[in-house]
Amino acid sequence: MYGGGNTFEGIKTDSLAQEDPIKLSEFEARIARGEKIEPKDWMPQLYRKQLIRMIEQHAHSEIIGALPEGTWITRAPGFKRKLALMAKVQDEVGHAQLLYSAAETLGKTREQMIQDLISGKSKYSNIFNYPAFTWADACFISWLVDAGAIVNQLANAKGSYGPYCRALDRICAEESFHLKYGHHCVIYLASGTQKQRSMFQEALNRWWPPMMHFFGPADKISAHTEVLMNWKVKMSSNDDMRNQFLDMYVPKIWELGFTIPDPNLKKNNATGKWEYSEPDWEEFRRVINGDGPCNKERLEVRRIAEERGQWVRNALRSRKNLYVAPLA
Amino acid sequence: MKSLDPRVKRLPEIGTGKRPSAVDIHDQFETFEVFVQPKPGKPFQHEGAIHAPNLEMAYIFAKENFTRRFTCISLFVVETRNVHVSAMTEGNQNVYDVLTQKEFPKGEKIPHEIFHLIKRGKQHVQVGSVEAASPDEAMAAARKQFDTGAVVFNIWAIPKKDIRYTSSDEADLWLTLPEKKFRDATDYKGGQKLKEFLDRSK
Repeated sequence: MYGGGNTFEGIKTDSLAQEDPIKLSEFEARIARGEKIEPKDWMPQLYRKQLIRMIEQHAHSEIIGALPEGTWITRAPGFKRKLALMAKVQDEVGHAQLLYSAAETLGKTREQMIQDLISGKSKYSNIFNYPAFTWADACFISWLVDAGAIVNQLANAKGSYGPYCRALDRICAEESFHLKYGHHCVIYLASGTQKQRSMFQEALNRWWPPMMHFFGPADKISAHTEVLMNWKVKMSSNDDMRNQFLDMYVPKIWELGFTIPDPNLKKNNATGKWEYSEPDWEEFRRVINGDGPCNKERLEVRRIAEERGQWVRNALRSRKNLYVAPLA
Repeated sequence: MKSLDPRVKRLPEIGTGKRPSAVDIHDQFETFEVFVQPKPGKPFQHEGAIHAPNLEMAYIFAKENFTRRFTCISLFVVETRNVHVSAMTEGNQNVYDVLTQKEFPKGEKIPHEIFHLIKRGKQHVQVGSVEAASPDEAMAAARKQFDTGAVVFNIWAIPKKDIRYTSSDEADLWLTLPEKKFRDATDYKGGQKLKEFLDRSK
């Protein structure tokens, strides 16, 4: 589950002037023909750096994203929901494994990625820094956060880097169950008692602002983003993905009789675009930089898991074997 | 730790808040390549990589990560460094035409699995096996056996002795997969309930 958002900020445009112009134009022609780039192919440094950053953030988002929902496994209402939620959380952790491998093919080791997550150097999807107070919050995540992630992942699956696209194809196929399961849970709450309905309405009120942050602030149009779009690293603008999400899911939320906590939310039929109150980007930045309700807990849980597992890994490890990066 | 999560509250406090200690560069083990056979009669194809401390654990992790959700009939794993990789070609260049080595060191011939990449961006697919004393010789032998003239971009040769296959008595590992409907999107039909709700609220 990952929505982009923070991916493309903060990297200074590396000078493309240092790259071999002939190789660079061959590389760009390959992408323009719709061919994928594979690990052993020549690629510009900037391409490699941005992809590592993007795939790594995506992997971290899967592994951290399992935490707020995982909270509810022990308290899921009924055996069937418990089985489904366990399977979903296991899927998310499996997605992290696929994505870490894809990032590794570009030359960053998994040890380094995990270290950078725990130390706070690498980011993950900001929405997981918020708590899941009730079962309805878990349902919101399963349905709508996954829906947002699918919008982003389907776009990225058409990107140019082979190993990332192949991992995403597999991930998207698995996510279709998450989305249907989440919608099913919300239909049951919506058609249940008044108490169940208000439980979901409250969850919706809590999660709407972070959901609007999910795709990130409007892109600054710069030469830099243009290059990334030409290279099919960035596949769609943040605003376009947000609009696509609203288009697909606001009617479904309204259909169930819930209110979205934004009086300005409406579709402009002339432009085909959704209008909404400007999300609080100040809060977005504050939370992403560590000052959110759950940042500390999320990283601490990861850190403790790493620390508690270390003796097991040490005991299993064979010291004569040598690491090589995965092939594809 | 203060948390809404009862499991987090139960966690012991180990070295609270300290930065991770420097980990061994091989803390996450070696990587293994995973190959899956989707249906009887279909060739194996490359699916991805897995980290594990040894071949047997790699097999177990691969089963969990790659065949938990999709039906298949067989799986094998091999350590990444035991996969021997040819050059990669592009355009209309058949990789068999750039293999120039003709003389190979003498030795005992052992069986190798051969994989082809026939479309860039897709997975490597098994084409069969050959007997050879080295992976280079295996690729030359594969040329005689599997080169139809159609463009192949990349060849992988893997000595069979390095592969952890699925044995015949393990083949029922995947028999229960279709019964696990709770992780199948088609098992979540909310349509009827939604319609009743909409009719009621009219």
